[in-house]
Amino acid sequence: MSVKVVHRLYWDFEREERWLNEQAALGWHLVRYSLGSYRFEQGEPGAFIYRIELLPAGRGSAASRDYLSLLAESGIEMVSTYMRWVYLRRPAALGAFELFTDLESRIGHYRRVVGFLSVILAALACSAAALIVTSGRSGGVVLDLSLVLVVVALVLITVPTVRLSRRVHVLRSQRQIYE
Amino acid sequence: MGANGSRPLTETIFYVLLALGEPLHGYGIMQQVNALTNGRVPLGAGTLYGALTNLTEKGWIRPLGGGGDERRKEYVITEAGRTVIAAELERLEELVRNGRRLVKEGEA
Repeated sequence: MSVKVVHRLYWDFEREERWLNEQAALGWHLVRYSLGSYRFEQGEPGAFIYRIELLPAGRGSAASRDYLSLLAESGIEMVSTYMRWVYLRRPAALGAFELFTDLESRIGHYRRVVGFLSVILAALACSAAALIVTSGRSGGVVLDLSLVLVVVALVLITVPTVRLSRRVHVLRSQRQIYE
Repeated sequence: MGANGSRPLTETIFYVLLALGEPLHGYGIMQQVNALTNGRVPLGAGTLYGALTNLTEKGWIRPLGGGGDERRKEYVITEAGRTVIAAELERLEELVRNGRRLVKEGEA
């Protein structure tokens, strides 16, 4: 069986999901994910639909175990996990596969992701501030590589955070008309 | 808002409550809702799980204990849940009555 490993970093889970489904349509099915590294196995094109979810609680919690067994019962396979993220797939033959089928729960998931990204953003902002203070003290105003990296990460993560926050806003305004 | 809530229920919540007229576990609820609506109301696992948590907190459904199989928890509607459904039916009947009147006027 053909295998390929692709290295990529996504901060936007919906883009990542789209990419995984494009790969699946080409016959490359994700079988394992770990920080920035995707392992695909070749199979029948379009055999699976992929979804990515941020669990509300840690994977080991009773609530998550309940949920994961519900997923298994409904034909959903947990392909890989990373922190509180789960990579899920279901055979396309079983029909459309959506985890969230009403506005309320979709908003809830987006808000969970925004919360998760905000924690990372806050940590990055703190390290940027610390780096600026220390480089100021040592007198070297030369561009510090670690500071550059932190700032780049800040910008990269801010983009999907803002996008998702806007999406929450749009969905909430729809709620006035539709369920 | 009254104890049973005078706000309209979402379709998802309404059908989850209806499905739990008999004890069912999560996947059973998905199948039952699918059968009741001929697949018109899709019910995703993430949405269902959130609904079960919320409805249990509200006391409209309750988990059945002691099935032995902890990983397939069954739920059933409570008296409070039945009251909510009854109130919702009254609301829906009013909607239908008033809606019909308008449609008939248009035809006349």
